[in-house]
Amino acid sequence: MSCELVERDLDAYLDRELDAAALTAVREHVGTCAACRRQLAQRETLARLVRSAPYYSAPDRLRARVRASSQSHSVRRVLTWAAAAVLVLSVGAGMTLWRPGASRGDVIADDVVNGHVRSLMANHLFDVQSTDQHTVKPWFLGKLDFSPPVVDLTSSGFALVGGRLDYVGGRPVAALVYQRRKHTINVFVSPAGGDPSTSNVVLTVRGFNLRHWIHNGMSFWAVSDVNSAELGEFATALQAS
Amino acid sequence: MRPRVFEETVLPHLDAAFNYARWLTRNEADAEDVVQDACVRAMRFFSSLRDDDARAWLFTIVRNAWYSRVSRKANVAEGTRLNDGQDQRPDNALDPEERLLQQHTVGLVRAALEQLPVDFREAIVLREIEGLSYREIAEVAGVPIGTVMSRLARARERLQTILKLNALSETLR
Repeated sequence: MSCELVERDLDAYLDRELDAAALTAVREHVGTCAACRRQLAQRETLARLVRSAPYYSAPDRLRARVRASSQSHSVRRVLTWAAAAVLVLSVGAGMTLWRPGASRGDVIADDVVNGHVRSLMANHLFDVQSTDQHTVKPWFLGKLDFSPPVVDLTSSGFALVGGRLDYVGGRPVAALVYQRRKHTINVFVSPAGGDPSTSNVVLTVRGFNLRHWIHNGMSFWAVSDVNSAELGEFATALQAS
Repeated sequence: MRPRVFEETVLPHLDAAFNYARWLTRNEADAEDVVQDACVRAMRFFSSLRDDDARAWLFTIVRNAWYSRVSRKANVAEGTRLNDGQDQRPDNALDPEERLLQQHTVGLVRAALEQLPVDFREAIVLREIEGLSYREIAEVAGVPIGTVMSRLARARERLQTILKLNALSETLR
């Protein structure tokens, strides 16, 4: 592969948007060409710098305003469509309690997203806040009837930041919290025995990416708003550790 | 799929929506107005959310809300686009290494991003900060994937120039 081709593909390479063949070609060329290696290094430095840019979180007053207008919006709709709304609501409630169409795997995926959202919104990300796996792991002792594997993945770009107890599928699980740039990744770990879903599931629910796999008898559910490729990278790093 | 409720679907992405709007507008008050407007639209069109990608869907609505605001203030839109070619700040006297290594890095990066034309800035923010794929960025911005790729490449070239990264890595070699 020539330098021009590598230059063309450099961004897609860094953005993990190349197919396997092109990826290998770029990697091989960069291994032998100092000029392209330098360019790659510059792009990587730039990416790190850009990720240090400020992340602007929504001000509380905006959140309150949106919530209020959402509620008044629903009120208006209920008033306008009273009869229909009552019907929809009761069907909705019924569906939540009894969903004949939903498999147990769907229910778990839904639980995983709910757990993730709850942890972010209620500001209850950790019961134990530490970047040290030797602090986080023992914290679960005596709180769960299993010992979740806890590893820091800072070297792969996913820093362990803490853990907490959570519930998925009606049973207590270990929730491990990782940080990727400004994004949070929750991983729910429990013994695989009770998990009927097949391993290596990749899906998107309500705008969040999910990955599920079974490793060494443990079931893992990772959920985050990082993109699917990065979450895959995270899953790989966790399984390799 | 359980019945979706606006609050539990959209509110979790409010920070992302605001961050995106803040970078589009470069201004706190405008960003608040854009997101507020976008959320009202999102409520109205909530039933149009077909697939499960609520975040990209919300980004698209934020972008539309922002776009109709700048089109209303046509002169602002002109200004935003016209500074495309001549937006480099005068060089200051510090050498590049010093400039980058000191604690103002975050400020420098922010300033560099803010000088980019809005289409470039948007691509960088959605890719690097929000982690969207090329396909998702293309959908949000309403352009082909090839355009996303060339915007990203040109934006990065320009950021490297603004931040003097080329000079810096030569210095550090």
